[in-house]
Amino acid sequence: MPLTDIAVALQIGLTYFTIIYLTGLGGLYSERSGIVNIGLEGLMIIGTVTGAWGARYFTETVGLGNVWGPILGLLVGAGCGLLFAGVHAIATITFRVDHIVSGVVINLVAIGLARFLSQAFFGQATQSDPGGPHLNPIDIPLLSSLPWGLGRAFQGLSPVVIFAFLMVFPVWYSLNRTRWGLRLRSCGENPEAARSLGVRVALYRYQGVMLSGAFAGLAGAFLAAEIIGNWHEGQTLGLGFISLAALILSNWNPVRLMFFAWLFGFAQAIPLRLNDAPVINLLPPQFINMIPFVVTIVAIAGFVGRVRPPAAAGRAYEGGGSS
Amino acid sequence: MASGEVAPPVAAPRIRSEWIERFGGQMLALVASLAIALAIGSLLIVGYGESPITVYGAILRSSLGDLDGFGYVLAIATPLIFSALAVAVCFKAGLFNIGVEGQYLVAMVTAAWAAVTLDFLPGPVHVVVILVAAMLGGMIWAAIPGILKVKTGAHEVVTTIMLNGIAISLLAWAIRSPLKFTSGPTGQNVDIRTDNFPDSALIGDMGKMFGIGPGAHLSWLFPLGIAAAIVVWFLLRRTRLGYEARAVGTSQGSAKAGGISIGSTQLRLFLISGALAGLVGMQQILATTGYLGSNYVAQLGFTGIAVAFLGQNNPIGIVFAAILWGILSRGEVALQIKTQVPREFIIILQGILIMSVVITYQIAKRRLAARQLQRAGAAGALEDSAPTVEPEVATQGES
Amino acid sequence: MTSDVGAERQGAPPLVVLEHITKRFPGVLANDDVSLDLRPAEVHALIGENGAGKSTLMRVLYGMYPADKGRIVVRGQEVKIASPRDAIGLGIGMVHQHFVLVDPFTVTENIILGNEGQVVLDRQDAERKVRELAETYGFRVRPDAIVEDLSVGEEQRVEILKALFRGVEILILDEPTAVLTPRETQDLFGNLRKLQQAGKSIVFISHKLDEVMQIADRITVLRRGAVVGETTPANTTKAKLAEMMVGRPVLFRLDKPQVEMGEPVLKVRDLAGAGKLNGISLDVRAGEILGVAGVEGNGQRELAEALIGLRTPEEGEVTLDGTPITGWSVKDVRNAGVGYIPEDRHEQGLVLNMTLWENSLLGRHDDAEFSSRIGVLFIRKIKELAERLVKLFDVRTRSIDVNASTLSGGNQQKLILARELETDPKLLIAAQPTRGLDVGAIEFVWKQILDQKAAGRAVLLISAELDEIYALSDRIVTLYEGRITGEYPPDAAPEDVGVGMLGGATQEVAS
Repeated sequence: MPLTDIAVALQIGLTYFTIIYLTGLGGLYSERSGIVNIGLEGLMIIGTVTGAWGARYFTETVGLGNVWGPILGLLVGAGCGLLFAGVHAIATITFRVDHIVSGVVINLVAIGLARFLSQAFFGQATQSDPGGPHLNPIDIPLLSSLPWGLGRAFQGLSPVVIFAFLMVFPVWYSLNRTRWGLRLRSCGENPEAARSLGVRVALYRYQGVMLSGAFAGLAGAFLAAEIIGNWHEGQTLGLGFISLAALILSNWNPVRLMFFAWLFGFAQAIPLRLNDAPVINLLPPQFINMIPFVVTIVAIAGFVGRVRPPAAAGRAYEGGGSS
Repeated sequence: MASGEVAPPVAAPRIRSEWIERFGGQMLALVASLAIALAIGSLLIVGYGESPITVYGAILRSSLGDLDGFGYVLAIATPLIFSALAVAVCFKAGLFNIGVEGQYLVAMVTAAWAAVTLDFLPGPVHVVVILVAAMLGGMIWAAIPGILKVKTGAHEVVTTIMLNGIAISLLAWAIRSPLKFTSGPTGQNVDIRTDNFPDSALIGDMGKMFGIGPGAHLSWLFPLGIAAAIVVWFLLRRTRLGYEARAVGTSQGSAKAGGISIGSTQLRLFLISGALAGLVGMQQILATTGYLGSNYVAQLGFTGIAVAFLGQNNPIGIVFAAILWGILSRGEVALQIKTQVPREFIIILQGILIMSVVITYQIAKRRLAARQLQRAGAAGALEDSAPTVEPEVATQGES
Repeated sequence: MTSDVGAERQGAPPLVVLEHITKRFPGVLANDDVSLDLRPAEVHALIGENGAGKSTLMRVLYGMYPADKGRIVVRGQEVKIASPRDAIGLGIGMVHQHFVLVDPFTVTENIILGNEGQVVLDRQDAERKVRELAETYGFRVRPDAIVEDLSVGEEQRVEILKALFRGVEILILDEPTAVLTPRETQDLFGNLRKLQQAGKSIVFISHKLDEVMQIADRITVLRRGAVVGETTPANTTKAKLAEMMVGRPVLFRLDKPQVEMGEPVLKVRDLAGAGKLNGISLDVRAGEILGVAGVEGNGQRELAEALIGLRTPEEGEVTLDGTPITGWSVKDVRNAGVGYIPEDRHEQGLVLNMTLWENSLLGRHDDAEFSSRIGVLFIRKIKELAERLVKLFDVRTRSIDVNASTLSGGNQQKLILARELETDPKLLIAAQPTRGLDVGAIEFVWKQILDQKAAGRAVLLISAELDEIYALSDRIVTLYEGRITGEYPPDAAPEDVGVGMLGGATQEVAS
C-alpha cells in the first residue's frame, strides 16, 4: 500500500493524538490531586459547542481575523470547560459527593447542555453550520520534507498539534519541579499528611479539577473548530473515555501519556485510512475501534504490569471544604 | 483498662424505631432536594421570560393531564427501571456497575439475533426466548468485569467503562454484518439496521387495555419492571444472597470474618445486575421500533445511574424516581410547543435534580451518623491509640 | 492530687503551662481539670492506661481540639491554639502514633512539604538542608530515600525531623515506642537526649513503665481523665506508678474453675507467612485457656487471622481435633467449630450499619435453621436468636432493630461474644477481647471465657494486657516477632514473662 496512505493516516493520528493527549493531561491534573474525573467526555462536549461558537463569533462577528478569532475560540472552549468542571469540583470537594456519580452526571448533563447552547448559538439543536473558521494549517519544518511521501504526515497540521506536543514540558515541570506540583501530588497521595502540614487540600483539588476542564474543553474546541469545522452532536466519539484509558495505562505520567495518546490516536486513524493494509483488512473496522479499550482492560487486569493510581483518588477526603 | 464509658439509657417506652428515623430523614432529603432543583430551575425559566408556574404546569399537564401522556411517561420509565435496578443491585454490594450501558447494547444484539433467527417460534414463546437471550447477553457482558474484579482485583469502574466502548463497536458491527438488513434494497439512504422483527417477537401494547393510544408504546414490559423491582427488593432484604451482599457492601472485613465469600457474592451480584441490564433495551426494540438500528436510544445506562441515585438505590424508590424522570422527559414536548423555554431545559433540570439529591443525601447521611455517634457515646473511638481523626467523622466509611 | 516532687530542677520558669484543662466528648469526660507544666530542656513523661486522656490532652495543646475549659500559657503568655498551624507557630510539634507520611515521596519532600520556601524546588539544596538538620541532632536518615522503603524507626525519625524543620522547641511524642524494636527504642532515646541537650523539651506519652523510668525527668500520671500524681524516676518505682495508673495494685482475679484437661483441640505447627509469622507452634487442650502474651505488632493479628481462615499461611499446619484445617476458608473453619472474637470489632466483628438482629446472623447465615435452601431468610427465627442473645448477655439497647453503631463498645463486644459462643465452638479464638471496655464489661467477658473453659472447651487468648493473661490463662506463651519465645506457668513472675515478650527465652519452649 502506498506510503502516502500511511502518511495520511499518521497525519490523522497526530490530530487524534492532540485531542486525546490534551484531554488526558487535564484528567491527569485532576486525578493526581485526588479527584477522579470520568466526566472528561462531557467536558470535551462543552468545549466543542462553545469552541465552535467562539471561533465563529470572534472571527466573523467581532472581526478579529483569522488568527485571533480562532485562538479566542479555543480559549472560550477551554474556559467553558473549566467552568463546567467547577460543578464537578463543588460536588466532589465541597459536598463530598462520590466522584463517579458526579462524573456520570457531568456526562449526562453535557449532552443536553450542548443542545441547549447550540439552540441558543446556532438556532439548531444538533449542529452548527459547516465551514467555521480555523487557524491556518502549517507544515512542520524539516519533517514535512521527508522523502517517499512520508512528509505528508507533517503537512497541513493545526498549530494546536504542536502546542499539544510542547505541553509535556510545562506539565511535567509544574508537577515535579515546583512547590505547587509537590503540594498537588500530596493531596492525591496522602491528603491527611498534606493537611497536617498546612497544605490547603481543597484549594489544590479545585485547581486540579478546573484544569481538567480547561484542557478537555480545549481539546473539544480543537476538534470542533479546527478539525471538523462545525459542531455536531456526538462528534466526540467517546474520545473522552479513550483519554481515560490512555491516562490509566500511562500510570498518570505526562510523558508516558504521550505514548499512549499517540498509540490510540493512530488506532483511530486505522479504520479511516488503512482498511486495506495487511492483517488489518482481516478485521472489521469496528473491531479496530475496540483496540484501545481492550488494551486497557488487559493492562489493568494485571496482565501487563501494574497500574497504580494516586492513593487518595476516589476516596472523598474528610475535611475537604475548609482550609 | 478504664475508658470512662457510659452505657446508653435503658430502653425507653417509646418505640420510635431507627427505621422510621432513617426513612423520614431520607424522605425529607428527597423533598428538600426536589424543592431546591425546582427553585434553581425557576431562575432559569424566569431568564427566558416565562413564569415557572406556566412551565412546570405545562410539564405536569402533558405528563399527567391525559391518559396518553401518562402512557408515554410509563413507557419512558420502563427501561429506566431496569437500568436503575441493575445499578442499585451492584451498589448495595459496594460495586459500581457503570457498564449497564454496554450490557444493554450487547443484550440488544443477542436479542435481535434471537428475534430474527428463531422466527419459527410461536408468539409468546418467542418473546420469552428473546428476553432470556437478552438477559444472557447482559449477564455475559457483566460477567467479564465481575470475573476480572474477583480474580485480578481490576477496578470495575475502569473495566466497565472500557467494555462500554467495546459494546458500541460490537453493536455497530452486528447491524452491519451478521444481522444486517436483508429484506430490501441496500442503498445510501437506508438506515443501518436489522430486518424488522417478526410479529412473534414483539411485545404487545398494554396501553390499549387502558385506553392509551398506540403512540405511547406502553408495553407489558412496564409491569415486568414493577415485578422486577419487587423481586429485587425481596432479594436484597429477605434472602441470604441479599444479606451477604449488604454485608459485603458495608463492611467487607466483618463479612469476610463471618465466613462470607466476597468474590463469590460480588460475582453473583454482577450477574444479576447484568441480567437486569439486559432488559433495558427491550422496550425500544421489541415494543417501539420492532428492529435494532443505528438510531438506537443510547445513554440509558448512564441515565439509570442517575435514576438509581434519585431513588436512593432502593427498589421501590427507583420505580418512583423513574416515573418522575419520565414525567420530566415527557414534558420536553410541551415545553417546545407551549412555551419559550427550549426543550433542552429539561435535561438541565434533570441534572440539577440529581446533583441536588446526591448532595442533600450526603448531608443527611452525615447528620444521621453524627447523631448516632452522639447517642452511642463515641463507641470505642476515643481510645488513646486511635488515629488522628475527629470523633464526629470516626464512623464514616459506609457506601 | 498527690505531689511527690523531690529535688527541684534548676529554677527554670516553665515553657508551657496547661491550666485546668477540661475536654468532653459525647458521653466521655476525656480530660477532667488537668493542670500540667513543661520546663525547658526536660523530658516529661505523661503516662496512663488506654483511655486515660493522655493523647487528648496533648491534642488540645497541639490545637487539634479546643478545650472546653482552661487555658494554655506558652512562654508566659496566654495563647489560643486553634489549629496545628498555630501550635507550630508557637514552637510546638507533635508526632502521632500513626504516621502521616506521603509514601511515594522522598524523605526530603515529606519534610519540606508545605514549607518549601521557594516556588521552584531545588532538590540538592533541600536535601542539603535536611542532611544538616539531621546531623545537628544526630539523626540517621537518607534524604533521598523513598518513604515507602523505610523501616518504622526511620519513618519516625522523618516525622520528628518534620517538626524540627519547622523550628519547634517542644516536641510531643504519642506512644513513640509502640511500633519500635528494642534497639530502635534505644536509638530513639539517644536522639531524644541530644534534642534535650540542644534545649528542646519533650513530652513523652506512654504506658510503658520501663521506658518511662529510663528516659523521663518528670512523670505525670493520668487516670480516667484526671491527674493523680506527678513525680520523678528517682522518687518512685514501677510498682508505685502502676498503682497510680490503675488505682489498685491488681485489677481483680476471678476464680478459675478446676477442669480436667483433655486432648489438644488445636495443634499449630511451624505456622509461617503473612509477613509476620515466623514459625509458630502451640497446642491448646480441651478445658484449657492458653494465653499468648506479647507487645502488639508481633504477629498477634496475623496469627488469629491465619487460624480462622482469613489468611492462608505460607507454611505450617493447623489441626482441629485431628482434622487438618490449614488453608480452609473462613466458612469451613467456623463450621468445624471455631469461634472468633476479633481484635478490631468494627472492622471484623460487626457490620455497624446493619441492625443487631442482622449482625446476630453473621457467621451462621448458611445454617439451615435461618434460611431455606434456595436462600429465603427466616426473619422471625433470626430475630428470636437476636432477642435471646441480647437478653442472655445483657446487651443494653432499645431494640434489636437499631444499628450496631448505636451500641457502646462494651455492648458491641458483648454481642459479638454472645453470637460466637451461641454456637458452642470447640475452640474460641479471642484476640484482645476486652480492649476499650470498662471494668464491668471486662469482668463479664472474662467470666464468659472462664465458663467456656469450665464447659471443657478450648480457648486461645491473645492479649497485650498482662493482667488479662494472668487472670485467665492456664498456660502462658510469649509471642515476639512471629515466634513463640517462651512458655510459662500461670504463676510465673511478670518480669520473666516480660523477658519472653521482648525476645529472650528463659525457658524451654514446649512443643
